[in-house]
Amino acid sequence: MRIVIAEDDALLREGLALLLRAESLDVVATTDSPTTFLSAVDTFRPDVAIVDVRMPPTHTDEGIVAAVEARRRHPGLAVLVLSAYVEQAFATDLLAEGAVRLGYLLKERVGRVEEFLSALHRVAQGGTAIDPEVVSQLFARSRPDSTLGLLSARERDVLALMAEGLGNTAIAERLFVTEGAVHKHIRNIFAKLGLAPDDRADRRVAAVLRYLKDTQGRN
Amino acid sequence: MAGADAGGDSGGSRDGTEADRDHAVRRYLHERVRITVDALEHLVGGLGTAILALVAFLLLFVVAIASVVGIGLVVVPSALKAVRSVAERERARLSRWGFQLPAPPPVPVGLGDALRDPWVRRECAFVAIHGTAGFVLGVLGLSLPLSAVQYLLFPLYFWLLPPEDGGPGIVMWRIDGLPDALVVAMIGVGWLAVAIALGPRMARLQALPGRLLLAPPRDVDASLRIAELTATRAAALDAHAVELRRIERSLHDGAQNRLVAVTVLLGAARRALARDPAQAAQVLERAQDAAESALAELRAVVRGILPPVLDDRGLAGALHGLAAGCGVPCTVEVDVPGRCAASVEATAYFVVAEALTNVARHSGAGSAAVTVRRDADRLYLSVTDDGHGGADERRGSGIGGIRRRVEAHDGRFTLTSPPGGPTTIFVELTCGS
Repeated sequence: MRIVIAEDDALLREGLALLLRAESLDVVATTDSPTTFLSAVDTFRPDVAIVDVRMPPTHTDEGIVAAVEARRRHPGLAVLVLSAYVEQAFATDLLAEGAVRLGYLLKERVGRVEEFLSALHRVAQGGTAIDPEVVSQLFARSRPDSTLGLLSARERDVLALMAEGLGNTAIAERLFVTEGAVHKHIRNIFAKLGLAPDDRADRRVAAVLRYLKDTQGRN
Repeated sequence: MAGADAGGDSGGSRDGTEADRDHAVRRYLHERVRITVDALEHLVGGLGTAILALVAFLLLFVVAIASVVGIGLVVVPSALKAVRSVAERERARLSRWGFQLPAPPPVPVGLGDALRDPWVRRECAFVAIHGTAGFVLGVLGLSLPLSAVQYLLFPLYFWLLPPEDGGPGIVMWRIDGLPDALVVAMIGVGWLAVAIALGPRMARLQALPGRLLLAPPRDVDASLRIAELTATRAAALDAHAVELRRIERSLHDGAQNRLVAVTVLLGAARRALARDPAQAAQVLERAQDAAESALAELRAVVRGILPPVLDDRGLAGALHGLAAGCGVPCTVEVDVPGRCAASVEATAYFVVAEALTNVARHSGAGSAAVTVRRDADRLYLSVTDDGHGGADERRGSGIGGIRRRVEAHDGRFTLTSPPGGPTTIFVELTCGS
């Protein structure tokens, strides 16, 4: 897997490269600004780009803009965006073009190497990785009278993991249940929420996130 | 400045000193000329409004007399409007000069209300004084330089006049030939000196009635004070927003990134442990470095919010610490009994820290002095250096930051920094305790 990193903090950039190289992943370029990042993507044609949201010059959302631009130039490019904090607007901007080959994670998730690597692989292979924090904020903000109240506790757990982009097998592993049980939960969830059942993880993520956004309280 | 190259060879240094002195003299003359011309301009402008005031005053007088027999009462409102328009012209003139005089509310409609209105009464007093004393001052102020010119030019045209007519103005004696005419010109030099010396004073004196009587009456001050407070409160909120953004930025991009690096490196170390313990030790060392720099970042952020040294050693101790760390020898004099509000002490500390940074970086000073004095509820703070001056708020260098932070606390900030120095920053704050 060929990777380009865009992160303006030198220590973090080197730490990430060190970690990924130790896992025998191929970090082909590390960059510290949106412009150098975009030209590195043009030159090296990586499979995955790992991009920090806040980068020079204004340290606001340059990373998001650069990631969207990189995907416009190279439609097959998988992008994993790292952020110091969860911002709904960033997630929405990113997901506007669909959730395929897309990840949005808090920076500190990188330290949980196994989970980070599985998210990285998932994104590279066409899946989605949404930070649990984003999902739980969506849950927290949904209206109390929404249909989410119809779900059992276990079904809510499954829904949250689905929203993060996990496939059935991964969900089963996390919750220590069989895949069959997960499958059954998912059917129930889709039925209760009135969504069309879909086994493909990325479309499922998009549907679930859209649903969660739609049920958000006005304030 | 003049002594700066005293170590060079003596000939060169004398040249340098003379050039400096010439330069200083030229600058002084240039400044005197500017002040005199300004004063003349003010006097002429003041004479203009004084003539209008005189007309308005005479009008008032006539209307008052006519009112005694009853027929004048009808035209009183028009007379008051005339007074108001004269007052407005003077307010505009003084505002252009730099004295802020807020506009009054409209003249009350009813005759009784209008005559009881404090603004109207003060404006009537103003036209009486400005129309007489201001008029005289204006005429004097204008004729002084004009007669100086007339005296100075006398040697050029005296031969056109019969000698027994004497010279201009006070010169009553016979003018026989050029030497006598040159004496008259010397008197002209005297007049010019008087005009230069008195002009600015006369202009200020002429403006005094307007500044006192056209300012809001005392009881109206409160509402203006409220407007001013609202503005400074908005400035305080802005200053807070800026401050919060600065703190947020330094937390996010500093300490938080370091801590993320720590977790990344720890994760890498954990994975390396199984494969290659030697590499794991290396990675752990880097993680420790990152954690230490996160701590350093946090300390810097905290110091920027509320310097802990203020708590530990009080304002005096904290300022002595700043002076000791300053690259330029610096004396500190603190006379502040008791403690001020924490935010005021933090602001004072911030002001001195920024000012001393400027002194060390830009002023070229050989020494600096910090004084802090408390008088009742006011804290007076000054930072002076003997550098080359010419500090300009608009050219960055942290002075704008000092002003914003001081004004956010409803304080006063003054910077004097003439070219050649010295530079003084003067700050006045309310102690709030």
